[in-house]
Amino acid sequence: MGKIWIIVQREYITRVKRKSFLITTLLAPLGFLLLITSSVVISTFSQGKTNVAVIDETGLFKDIPLADAEDQSVYFYKIDDDYETLATTLPKQKDAKYDAIILIPRNFDITNPNSAHIACRSTKRLGMVKQEFLKQRIGEAYQQARMKMLNISEAQINEMQQKVSLNFESLGNSKENEGYTTAAAGVGMVMGFAIYISLFFYGTMIMKGVMEEKSNRIVEVLTSSVKPFQLLMGKIVGIGAVGLTQFVLWIVLMMGIQLLALPILGITMAHQSPMGQMGAAEVDPDIAVAVVNSISQLPLLQIALLFPVYFLGGFLLYGSLFAAVGAAMGEDGDQQALMVPVTVPIIISIFIAINVINNPDSSLGFWGSVIPFTSPVVMSALLPFKPSWPQIALSITLLIGGFVLTTYMAARIYRVGILMYGKKVKFKEIARWIFSNK
Amino acid sequence: MSLLSLQHIQKRYGTYQASNDISFEIPHGKIFGLLGPNGAGKTTLIRMITRILYPDSGTILFNGEQLTDKHTEQTGYMPEERGLYKKMKVGEHLIYLARLKGLTKAEAKEAVQQWLEKFEITGWFNKNIEELSKGMSQKVQFIATVIHNPQLLILDEPFSGLDPINSKLIEEEIRQLSLQGKTIIFSTHRMEQVEEICDEIVLVNGGKKILEGSVKELKQRFKENKFHIAYKGEINDSLLQNLHVITRSNDAVTVQFSEEHHGNDLLKLFVENKVEVTSFNELLPSINEIFIRKVKES
Repeated sequence: MGKIWIIVQREYITRVKRKSFLITTLLAPLGFLLLITSSVVISTFSQGKTNVAVIDETGLFKDIPLADAEDQSVYFYKIDDDYETLATTLPKQKDAKYDAIILIPRNFDITNPNSAHIACRSTKRLGMVKQEFLKQRIGEAYQQARMKMLNISEAQINEMQQKVSLNFESLGNSKENEGYTTAAAGVGMVMGFAIYISLFFYGTMIMKGVMEEKSNRIVEVLTSSVKPFQLLMGKIVGIGAVGLTQFVLWIVLMMGIQLLALPILGITMAHQSPMGQMGAAEVDPDIAVAVVNSISQLPLLQIALLFPVYFLGGFLLYGSLFAAVGAAMGEDGDQQALMVPVTVPIIISIFIAINVINNPDSSLGFWGSVIPFTSPVVMSALLPFKPSWPQIALSITLLIGGFVLTTYMAARIYRVGILMYGKKVKFKEIARWIFSNK
Repeated sequence: MSLLSLQHIQKRYGTYQASNDISFEIPHGKIFGLLGPNGAGKTTLIRMITRILYPDSGTILFNGEQLTDKHTEQTGYMPEERGLYKKMKVGEHLIYLARLKGLTKAEAKEAVQQWLEKFEITGWFNKNIEELSKGMSQKVQFIATVIHNPQLLILDEPFSGLDPINSKLIEEEIRQLSLQGKTIIFSTHRMEQVEEICDEIVLVNGGKKILEGSVKELKQRFKENKFHIAYKGEINDSLLQNLHVITRSNDAVTVQFSEEHHGNDLLKLFVENKVEVTSFNELLPSINEIFIRKVKES
C-alpha cells in the first residue's frame, strides 16, 4: 500500500507540474467558449439576405400578409410581373433585385392545394433552413387564405390558434412536470458526456504512460522494486487524481468565464435568434422558467453522492484496460487494433445514454445502467431521473465486480506485456496471458 | 552459507524452456559472473532472483530464507536494457526509486546527496534526465541501483556505453562495494572483464548450466599443459623432438606437454641441455576460450 502511494504521488505530481497540464486546463474552457462563439458567429454570417418575389396569379393571397424573416435573412415582395419573363431575365441580371421567385399559378385550386404546385425558383441554391422557412410561410398564408374563404374571422382564427399546454407528470413523483424532464435530460446528458470524455482522455493518458515506461525500459527497474499490480494501481489512481483536479479546475474556470462572458454571449444569441419560430428551436418562456425551477427539484444529493462513484468506478474499470492495452502494444504503438475492444463499449454507452434520456424507463436504459461496461456513462445520464434504489444497488455491485474482474485481467496482461519487447502481440496470445496459471 | 542459493530452477515460456534444472550457489561477498551467449536464459534467471518472474518449480534461498518480496529491498538491479523517466529531474528521480526500495523520504534524500557528492556531480540534482548524455544517465542508473545499500547487486552489462574513464570509475566502485561485503552478480559478454573482476562464474546455455567454478580453478581445470619458453642462443632440434611445438621463433618456443608431465620436467629438460632460459610461463586458457569451447560443446 505504501509503495502504491509513492507511485500515485509521482504520477500525480509529475503530470500536474508539467506545462502541458496548465495549458490544457486553461485552454480547454477557452476552446469550448471559442467553439460556441464561433458557431454562433459563423451561422450569423453564413445566412446572407434573400429577396423573394411572390407572383400571385390567382389573387387569392392579395390581402394575406407574408412576414419577412425576423433575422433579416428573407424578405418578401409581392409583384405583378409576368412570371416567365422574370424567370428568364433574372439569371442574366448582374445586380438582380430578387434572388428567388414564388409563383402561385393561375390554375391553383385553393380547395385542393395539390392540384397545381406552387413553384419556387431561385438563382442561387437555397439552404435547407431557408427552404423550410419558405414552406412554412407559404403554408401559413394558404391556411389564412383558406379560412378567409370559409368566412372565419381573424378573431376566430386567433382563438383557434391558441396554444394548448400539456402538463406532464409522472404518477409516482407528483412534483415532476415537463420542465423537470427537460432539466433532468440536460443534467443527465452533461454528466454522461463528462464521464464519456474523461474515460477517453485519461484512459489514453494511462495507456501512454504505460507505453512510455515500456519503451524507455524503466519498467524492469520498477518491477524489481514493486509488484506490477502496485505499479498498475498507482498509475491509474495517480492519473485519476490528475483528472479530478483538472475537472474541478475546469468547473471553477467555466463558472468564472460564464460570469464574465454570458452578458456578451447573451447579446449575440438574442441578435441571432434563428429564423423566428423555426421548428423545434421555439422555446416557450413558461417551459424555460419551469426548467430552471426544476433544477432544484433534481435529486441533487443523490447525484452528488453517486456521480463520483460512477466516475471512479468507470475510471478504474476502463483505466486498467487501457493500461493493459498500453502494456501489450509494441514500443512504436502501431497496434491500434488492440484498442478496439476497449473503446467500442465506451462509444456504445454514449449512444445508449442519448437514447435513455429520451426514454428513461426503457429496458435498454435498465440494462445499460446495470452492465458494468456501460453503466458509468448510462447511469450518470439516468441519475436525474431518479432510478430505483434496487437498480442502483445492482448497478454498483456489478460495477465493483466488473472492475475487480477487469483489473485482475488487466494486471495479468500488464505483468507479461510490459516485459515483452520486439514482438507483435495477438489477441490469442493475450487470452493465454489471462488464463494461464503461471 | 551462500547469500543466494538456486535449487533445481525450472522456467518455461509456452514451449520454450528458459531454465532447465538450474542449481548454483552465490557465496557471500563475492563478485559472481553470470555468463552465457545471447538467449541463454541469463535474463530469465536474473528476473527470477529479482522477483519479476517466478520459477515454475525449484527453490531460491536468500540468506537461507525462502526468497520473498521483502528481499527485493535488499537487492539492487541494473538491467541491460535500462531507462529513466525523461521528464524528471535527477534528484527527484533517484529519491523516487530509493523510496520504492523502502527508504523514507529523508533517508532517500540524504543518500542521493551522498552519492552525488561521491561521484562529484552534485550540480546534477536539478538537471532534467533528458539533458543527460548516455554515459551520464548510466551513472545515475548505477546510483539508483546502489542507493538503498543492498546486500545483493545485480549488474547486467554495467559498462556498456561508458567511456574508459567512467568505466574505470564504476569498476572501482564495484570493487569497493565488494570489499564492503556486498555480493555482486555481474552479467556480461566481455570476457576480459570477467577475468579482471569476477571471483566465481557460472556459464549457462540453452537454459542449462554448463559450467561453474572460481575463475582460478577453472583456468587450472581447462589448462592444456602449454608452456612458453624464451631463451638465449641456439637450441638443438633434437631437444624438441618429443615435444608438440605450437609456435617457434628465434628466441622462444611454445609447446604442449603430455599431461602426465609437469612444468618442472620441461624446465629441467631445457636446463640439462644447457639452454639459457630467460622466461618460462605456463599458458592458461582465457575465460573467453573456455566459454567458446564449452558453448560449442553443449
